[in-house]
Amino acid sequence: MDGEKLLRRLVIKCFHINKVEFGSKNSINDNKLTIDRNVLGELVESEDLIDRIEIDIIKPRQHDKFVNSIMDIIPISTKVLGRIGDGVTHTLTGVYVMLTGIDAEGKQMAEFGSSEGILEEQMVFGRAGTPSKEDYIIHVDVTLRAGIPFERKLPLAAHTVCDKFIQDFREILREIDGRSASESHEYYDKMRPGKKKVVIVKQIAGQGAMSDNIILADDPSGFAGGKSIIDIGNVPMILSPNEYRDGALRAMT
Amino acid sequence: MGIGPSTKETTLHHFRDPLLDVVSQDDDIDLLGVVVVGTPQDNVSKYFVGQRLAQWMESMRADGVIISVDSWGNSHVDYANTIEEIGKKNIPVVGLSFIGNQAKFVVSNKYMDTIVDFNKSKKGIETEVVGENNVNRLDSKKALAFLKLKMQKKED
Repeated sequence: MDGEKLLRRLVIKCFHINKVEFGSKNSINDNKLTIDRNVLGELVESEDLIDRIEIDIIKPRQHDKFVNSIMDIIPISTKVLGRIGDGVTHTLTGVYVMLTGIDAEGKQMAEFGSSEGILEEQMVFGRAGTPSKEDYIIHVDVTLRAGIPFERKLPLAAHTVCDKFIQDFREILREIDGRSASESHEYYDKMRPGKKKVVIVKQIAGQGAMSDNIILADDPSGFAGGKSIIDIGNVPMILSPNEYRDGALRAMT
Repeated sequence: MGIGPSTKETTLHHFRDPLLDVVSQDDDIDLLGVVVVGTPQDNVSKYFVGQRLAQWMESMRADGVIISVDSWGNSHVDYANTIEEIGKKNIPVVGLSFIGNQAKFVVSNKYMDTIVDFNKSKKGIETEVVGENNVNRLDSKKALAFLKLKMQKKED
């Protein structure tokens, strides 16, 4: 009963971005990501509850900027082969999406304390869940329509529209030749017979307006196609280590 | 209720989770999986999901469980209950939670004797600074070390 048994392999290929700018077309070329601002109109139109969306490129070390309450930090990743948890994933490094939200009457999208303020003071950079000071941040700031009672559909609309914005870049990222990756990491789900069997449990939030999680969306760290922990009754759901590592959870908290 | 800006694990955190890295890289551990469980509104449902989770652990023949939470206050009710249910099945369990000065457990039980407090703020409070009170590698290593001790103690 000794020796490891490999179950399946996940390869995460990282493509490093060292410049983000606005341009006439969404693209990823030669370590540069270009955002077409004209997509914003369509995005606003696509969601009834959205009043407006602004996108800003926050350059490395330039964090002296007021931001509304930070709803999430999201990596840009896509499946190239297989499903979440196996096959091949492409992800961008050096750039992350930051979603912030407010409503048109000035109410921050937060329920249990909110993080609006000068970005430099409102985020500890370089943690597992936050960009480093050297990273670019694509700041997606969503303003929701005024006069709607604060309930689940509001943050959901903000996440939906942010996901639509990211989806365009996922499609581009999917087509990039894997051989041009800056880094490639291999992970195996494995059994270690005879060793102590351990389970990691993550208690995630599933109630109220601001506390939902999406599990196993179509794309890593995505939204579309996933199951809400609230909708499945908050019951325990098992993920393989590689599924979890491949972005099985989208935190809408 | 109970995820503040500083304890909240972002989607990026889940993607690069130090707890998963530490546990999955340990050659002495057979990591069975990652279980996610939510926090229903009413107490009956809170007990229900905790009991179901504990039964999963027993049925998976888990030798030990690490349970992490990124919220506090009311969600500590769910947390304490789930830990108790796992403990009652005689499965060693170690927790990771923000406690500091502000989030002392509202309920507790005898199975909550090994909880790693991942508060990082000087005052021990919810600072509303994103990323501040989050689990890091050191917290994860502490939790795994506690669990190994507990699992060993059970064998002795």
